Amino acid sequence: MKTRLVWLRNSGQTVAVGAANSLPPSSAVVRLDQMSGPVYTVPVPDMILDYMDFNDPMLALSSWIGQIGDFGLDLVWRFIHIVVTLWHIVSGIFESVESYAISLGLIQKYSSIDIEKLKCLAVVVDIEAARDVSKVIELLQWLTTIGVKQVGLFDSQGLLKKSKDMILEMVPRSVLLQETGEKHISPDRIALEFISSSDNKEAVVKAANILLEKYLKSIHPENGVGENVFTESHLNEALRVVGESVHVPDLLLVYGPVRSHLGFPAWRLRYTEIVHMGSLKYMRYGSLLKAIHKFTGVRQNYGV
Amino acid sequence: MPCLFVSWRLRVPLSITNIRRFIKTAASQCNDKEESGTTGEKEKGGRMPKHVAIILDGNRRWAEKRGLGPSQGQEAGARTVMENVKDYFSMGINTVSLFAFSTENWGRPGDEVKYIMDMFEKIVKSEMPNLRRYGVKVSVIGKRTNIPEPLLHLIGEAEEATKNNKEKQLIVALDYSGKFDILQACKSLAEMAKNGLINVEDIDENLMDKELMTSCSEFPNPDLLIRTSGEQRISNFYLWQSAYTELYFPSVLWPDFGGAEYFEALDWYQKRQRRFGLRV
Repeated sequence: MKTRLVWLRNSGQTVAVGAANSLPPSSAVVRLDQMSGPVYTVPVPDMILDYMDFNDPMLALSSWIGQIGDFGLDLVWRFIHIVVTLWHIVSGIFESVESYAISLGLIQKYSSIDIEKLKCLAVVVDIEAARDVSKVIELLQWLTTIGVKQVGLFDSQGLLKKSKDMILEMVPRSVLLQETGEKHISPDRIALEFISSSDNKEAVVKAANILLEKYLKSIHPENGVGENVFTESHLNEALRVVGESVHVPDLLLVYGPVRSHLGFPAWRLRYTEIVHMGSLKYMRYGSLLKAIHKFTGVRQNYGV
Repeated sequence: MPCLFVSWRLRVPLSITNIRRFIKTAASQCNDKEESGTTGEKEKGGRMPKHVAIILDGNRRWAEKRGLGPSQGQEAGARTVMENVKDYFSMGINTVSLFAFSTENWGRPGDEVKYIMDMFEKIVKSEMPNLRRYGVKVSVIGKRTNIPEPLLHLIGEAEEATKNNKEKQLIVALDYSGKFDILQACKSLAEMAKNGLINVEDIDENLMDKELMTSCSEFPNPDLLIRTSGEQRISNFYLWQSAYTELYFPSVLWPDFGGAEYFEALDWYQKRQRRFGLRV
């Protein structure tokens, strides 16, 4: 007597699976107690159920069709993967060629950029990339060539701050922004500012302390009301007192795997364009020029 | 033929949008090399943001493209919120922030601003029963000084009616400015110092965090910030809170940002490797 694997169904729902040895023809009903061996059920006690025979040719055929379908789907998926990978390779080659053409000045629209629109550029560098100061120096040399006048360099841990002297020495015509001030940068110079996370929230807290003390000192004993020192201009002034710049960068370039500004001073980011540039290790002059060119074409409404 | 087969097997309607989405998913696996790291690789699988912030940009451009007036664009944007709000909390997302109206927006034409305020009133009235049913806590952050009285009253009622909901929170930023948020936190700390509750030297980042308007949420710092319409700025939204927020700038205009686009953003987020400024 053949042992058959049996699905039992009730109203189209499978409620038990098990083995059965002696079964009547498929059209008859079968009881749970006719099944032998392990039976896996959902609790539907005392019900008399129909059964379907696993050896039914239609069921086997349906299972085969499903397996062929899954195999076909897998082939289609892999085919699309190959197509997309090839497209990525081709577009990567195209981007490299385009970037090379841009750097040679062969593409007209990138030869003349209205750099006056870019008054202040900020560069955020991932901490991994910040360890490779030579790439940062190369980037700054490119920016000098393009004609950018003011660059803020940020990494969260302050590694670039520690390498400040070397960077200033290696980048031609560079000066420290803190020494010259924003208004007195010579046309042939590039002013660099070195920023880290301590210039973000920590600086705002220090500035807030200054405002607090000013407020507490200004409280009138008669009415207990103090001067309103909690305005943007007051906080800007307090930030300058603690040695921070409040100049808002027009464009912020992020180099690294994350698409985040990584803690760049929040107070300075209100209307800054943020562009993710990818890895600093594989940066391209053409991509840099494209990002700056795209920025010069951006129109901001400032919420109005 | 492959598209027909895939459409049948996955039981999704065959459309250009779904084909494009399918190819994008296949393409994003090619980008995995850029995002893969050593530490954190296992953690990023299956991660969902706890707090998603959205800047609803592009309503006027959407209307311009169709030859409609700005108010129709605002209406379309509002409809997008109403149709999709329950999807925003799917997959374990606890908090969703919507940058509905910034302080700078008061500078728009008076009739447009009035229309927007009237529209907010209608939305609060019509959506409150749904939000209560979904168990969503509603919080409105912003200045409130210039908001019309009837709308303020409705906002108060909505916040009161949903204050006991814990699982999901919808934060609506109305007349909000990131700089103002920082300033009002400073002012609040000043009052506490004046009343002797804290010393000036006790003030640090943690105390500032607690006084920001987003302290109404268990997850005040957004993990993901989406700004629609392709503009790549945060425009005075969550300046303090967004230090390590992943920024996603899709080019789709807000009225066209539906459930599928939202899930694309979440899928993109899942592939990020977040380092919070540290070395991996």
